Amino acid sequence: MNIYLLQVANGIGIGMLYFLLAVGLSIVFGLLRFVNFSHGAFYLLGAYFSFQLGQMGLSFWWSLLVAPLVIGLFAWIVEKFVLRHIYALPHHFHILFTVGLALVVQEAVISYWGPLGNNISPPDILQGVVMFGDFIFPKYRLFVIAVTAVMALLLWWVLEGTRLGAIVRAGSESTEMVSLLGLNIDRIFSLVFALGAITAGLAGALAAPIRGVDPFMGVEALGIAFVVVVIGGLGSFFGALAGGILVGIVQSLMSTIWSEGAHLMIYVAMAAVMLLRPNGLFGRSS
Amino acid sequence: MINRRDFLRLSALAAPGALSFSDVFAQSDAIQFGCPVPMSGPFAANGKYADMGMKLVLQKYGKVLGKSLSYTTIDTEGKPATAVRKVQEAVDKGTRFFAGGILSSESLAMGKEAEKSNSIFITTAGADEITGSECNRSTFRWSVPTFGAIGQTVRPLLEKLPKAKRWYTITPQYVFGDGLLNAAKEVFKEKGIEHVGNSYHSLAEKEFSGYLTNAMAAKPDVLLLLNFGSQASDALRQAVSFGMKNNMTILMAWASGLEQFEALGADICDGVYFGAQYWHAIDAPFNKEFVGYVNSTLKIDPNYSLAGSYICTKIVLDAIIKANSTDPKAVIAAMEGMKYEGLTGTEELRKGDHQVIKNYYLLKGKAKSKMRSKNDYADIVSFGKSFLPLDKTMCKIA
Repeated sequence: MNIYLLQVANGIGIGMLYFLLAVGLSIVFGLLRFVNFSHGAFYLLGAYFSFQLGQMGLSFWWSLLVAPLVIGLFAWIVEKFVLRHIYALPHHFHILFTVGLALVVQEAVISYWGPLGNNISPPDILQGVVMFGDFIFPKYRLFVIAVTAVMALLLWWVLEGTRLGAIVRAGSESTEMVSLLGLNIDRIFSLVFALGAITAGLAGALAAPIRGVDPFMGVEALGIAFVVVVIGGLGSFFGALAGGILVGIVQSLMSTIWSEGAHLMIYVAMAAVMLLRPNGLFGRSS
Repeated sequence: MINRRDFLRLSALAAPGALSFSDVFAQSDAIQFGCPVPMSGPFAANGKYADMGMKLVLQKYGKVLGKSLSYTTIDTEGKPATAVRKVQEAVDKGTRFFAGGILSSESLAMGKEAEKSNSIFITTAGADEITGSECNRSTFRWSVPTFGAIGQTVRPLLEKLPKAKRWYTITPQYVFGDGLLNAAKEVFKEKGIEHVGNSYHSLAEKEFSGYLTNAMAAKPDVLLLLNFGSQASDALRQAVSFGMKNNMTILMAWASGLEQFEALGADICDGVYFGAQYWHAIDAPFNKEFVGYVNSTLKIDPNYSLAGSYICTKIVLDAIIKANSTDPKAVIAAMEGMKYEGLTGTEELRKGDHQVIKNYYLLKGKAKSKMRSKNDYADIVSFGKSFLPLDKTMCKIA
């Protein structure tokens, strides 16, 4: 198979994980207009909880379910007891708090698990590779694509096809209007924030067998998540999906075309999209 | 409500390294050491262990020439400009002795700053230039440079695998990676090896599947990883997941030792070759003493980052004692030509380029079922000393 086709296929695999990483950040911004700099910390915790549960003897499948839910619970508590009290403050308070939270989480991870990275092996059934002609692809990465695709469909259905989704979309237009309808907007905020954290936690748990776990993975992930969200458009579900896949493909293709610039080119792609579509691919004007 | 412009501006804070911190523990009346290492970013784990190494040796010595010892942790963030600025600040506060610099780029920059400020800087970074074309009187290096690392890994592996004629390299694009790559190309040329491709990558890279796809398409006999730290771990982990261990031999020319094996686990390391500056099982008298000390104090086996920082600081401390002075000029004179029992056997600080002459090791990862203890991840396959002769280093210390 042509090397460029191989790289496109590989890029879609990377991009789907980027989507899952970024979609929570985008949804939270869409509803709350709140930039969550601790989003990477939820990804970090998702990976580490998955690792810890594995160490405790829980199967990979259970850890994939339990770790994101624990992160969701943690995020719900943080939102309920702290964040909602700072929504009304200027944005630099939001940043100060969420960056601080990310640092606390990172240092807590170092204190408990140590500064070194750790490995997580995929379950036996997902080890090894599949071959499509010349194209070799790890089974685990195929599994990640499948899970993220299912998650994308689920999220789309929740946001577009359920009452909760309608309220979230309405809330992103006008929280006052939703409140006037007698709906508890605070509870919806908590729920959406927790949902964003769950997706980040799941991304962390899924990424762990690919890149291991280390205490600094949250900061790295946050950078990518912001690029994806900016490319796709703030608050847009489809934007996160398109942005994630675009970043994955650009990164993978550039590994062949200009390998030393592959990482740089994702930022160039972001700049190009901003020039052509200042609100992102699926963004609305602010 | 936040607008898009604010969002973009604030997003810059999300760049790797933006979230950092530094610890400072210093006393003004003591002999002050600085530990300039990355404490944040992809090489932070190495930095944290290096910090422990310096702290451990200073605690062990307690006092030197009747003066207490103190140290400052300096988070270089792996960035040369940040490293230099923070070293300048430490010099202004009275620090004259620095051991650190995990990355070659930051080490080169800090070495120059040490010379300017009449300080001493000793490092474990690998670029040949540190004790070559960019050498200076204030800079010393304990680790074997890239030339020696390739000499003691690629050459012995070629002897073991004479049929391995096609090699692919994955290289971080900075001075250290280029040093390894250039040294490897020299060996390939000499031995008639076909270099079937190279993928450069940035220092911020975490995703290696694109480069591995390139490598698989080139169908090499050996995949030579020239990156370091967590990037090398990520590249190897992903190479194994792509099944590359089954189709080719993998050599990581510059592993970061035990910490890397612990992070990867035995299953990934099994059958992979690693180059190493240090291994806790080295059969040398001082190493046994050192391992025992670390075992008793920290309850761990020492890894390369900890050991490198420990021995670098120890060399400076011993030179201060030998010189009976804390004047950097006197200490430099004491360090030049110093011969001592080191972690790899008898080591010598070559006067002409300030390079420690020591062994470099080729390890082979072993299966979990064959490990005799928790940290028995690898066997030493071979070791030896490879250094450019002084007249070829391009070092001109006046």
